Amino acid sequence: MSIDIRLPTALRAFADKQEKVSVDADSVGDALEKLFIRHERLRQQLLSPDGKLRSFVNVYVNEDDARDKQGLATPVKDGDTILIVPAIAGGSAVLELELTTAEKARYHRHLIMPEVGAEGQKKLKNASVLCVGAGGLGSPLALYLAAAGVGRIGIVDFDTVDESNLQRQIIHDTQSVGTSKLKSAEKRLKGLNPNVAVELHETRLTSANAVELFKRYDVIADGTDNFATRYLVNDACVLTGKPNAYGSIFRFEGQLSVFGLKDGPCYRCLYPEPPPPGLVPNCAEAGVLGVLPGVIGTMQAVEALKLILGIGRPLSGRLMLYDALEQSWRTLKVKKDPACPVCSENPTIKAPIDYEAFCGLKEKTVSIPEISVQDLKTKLDKKEKFVLLDVREPHEYEIAKIPGSTLIPLGKLPERFGELDKGAKLIVHCKMGGRSAKAVQFLREKGYDATNVAGGINAWSESIDPSVPQY
Amino acid sequence: MSLKLNRAVEAIAAATCEKAFPEEGCGLLIGPIPENFEAPGRVLAIDEARPLPNGWDASAKTNKYLIDPKTLARVEAELSGTGRGVVGFFHSHPTVPAWPSPFDLTMAMPCCSYWILQVKDGKVADSRSWQRTEDGRSFIEEEIVLEG
Repeated sequence: MSIDIRLPTALRAFADKQEKVSVDADSVGDALEKLFIRHERLRQQLLSPDGKLRSFVNVYVNEDDARDKQGLATPVKDGDTILIVPAIAGGSAVLELELTTAEKARYHRHLIMPEVGAEGQKKLKNASVLCVGAGGLGSPLALYLAAAGVGRIGIVDFDTVDESNLQRQIIHDTQSVGTSKLKSAEKRLKGLNPNVAVELHETRLTSANAVELFKRYDVIADGTDNFATRYLVNDACVLTGKPNAYGSIFRFEGQLSVFGLKDGPCYRCLYPEPPPPGLVPNCAEAGVLGVLPGVIGTMQAVEALKLILGIGRPLSGRLMLYDALEQSWRTLKVKKDPACPVCSENPTIKAPIDYEAFCGLKEKTVSIPEISVQDLKTKLDKKEKFVLLDVREPHEYEIAKIPGSTLIPLGKLPERFGELDKGAKLIVHCKMGGRSAKAVQFLREKGYDATNVAGGINAWSESIDPSVPQY
Repeated sequence: MSLKLNRAVEAIAAATCEKAFPEEGCGLLIGPIPENFEAPGRVLAIDEARPLPNGWDASAKTNKYLIDPKTLARVEAELSGTGRGVVGFFHSHPTVPAWPSPFDLTMAMPCCSYWILQVKDGKVADSRSWQRTEDGRSFIEEEIVLEG
């Protein structure tokens, strides 16, 4: 019995572009099975993995919906036409997802606490968190959010895994060195909890994309390592009305707070202005105790979960300071600034600004004299007269130094530059050339003849003396 | 990967969605069926937008749309053999952004373009077009090219 099966435009691509496929069959189910045997890719499109017709598929026999007859068992006779018609539906509705039986078992320890319970767990499943950064803070943060069953976890990062990350960034592993941080994080999170949707945003967070991105999430968790992005995250959170579970780390100390709640302060209320560029070194320059981001990132996860569940007291209006050496926590009150340029009643910032400029990162246009490590080596070999000034921190000096150098950390330079001989030729280096460039600029303003060493001691170790350790 | 629209198509879709506000508006996008329809890089050239009524109950129309399958079947029959077909769909998201919702993903078909228009205060504020991946797990945004 020859039956015509007619396909909608969207599905013909999976059936050699045919509008119509003729099969011999005696029931709707039989006809579809014969269609699928011929066009296997159609099976995947029309049937779910458990073999049922997908939600968007309607099957008609001539003019009648097969569901109104006997479903797949509906008999067909020679000359009948089976129409496959998609139900075109959708919309902005976010359907509330229910917990599956497997999820109820997985989240048992949450479900038995009345503060969370099945209702709370459902809130977590239907919630979304955006982790800004897949580094030290982002690692424990994303892992615990996934373990807790937060339904949608977004991560923004554009970096690759470096071996020196693994001392603290526990979401990545040795095998992932050199690969995308996002892919590495996704693999780990999916392995931990396959129920969670992981959304990867492989891009630098910018003033152009932050607001649109933040709109799609319920909570933003700031795990960035620089001031420009931190102010951007803050402003975009306030502009989109999203809470910011904030954390930051430095050497042995951490900070934690929740910004951007309706009646609470924002990061700008606490720090209206960024520190001068270069004054506060980042983790790559100053180091960080590997477990510190574990402590702070985990606390950010606690705050994110509390915000979603609506339980406890969010850490808004309070700044917690953690000191790992003292093993102590201090809590400071943070007031909302009635004149805050972003979160006050009359804000002056109504869209993201240029944060690089705001943080003074674009002022480095003044060109400063610079030499390579090879030039430095030649000068040392020729025993030319100059002072080799190292502007790193004392502990860095302990790890690695170029023989004969004088140490004055960049932060101490404004009070100690007088120790330097004004007539001397100064050659200045740091770890990678960034801090020393600032030192050179400062010294030249004070009338010194100062020159920067491009690439710093790391370049020295790489090209001149491998016995000097890189760190 | 892109969706080419002409001014008339854009105007009809925008007017349909603005008129439907605060409910969702919807309709079909019709044009030649490209040889490489299922390819992720395919280009669709839409030459007709056909508005259709939102088939949900009144209470659900503010955040859902439904196109009657019988109407769709009728249009497909009308286009049969012409090389043109229903290659995409448009609908509006009143107030909320033009990103596909989980519901959009559950119901999405492969190959087609899903053009979403965000309507704010009765005016189209943003519009984005999306193509479902073949595995059905996500949407990829495609460029909208306005011509003519």
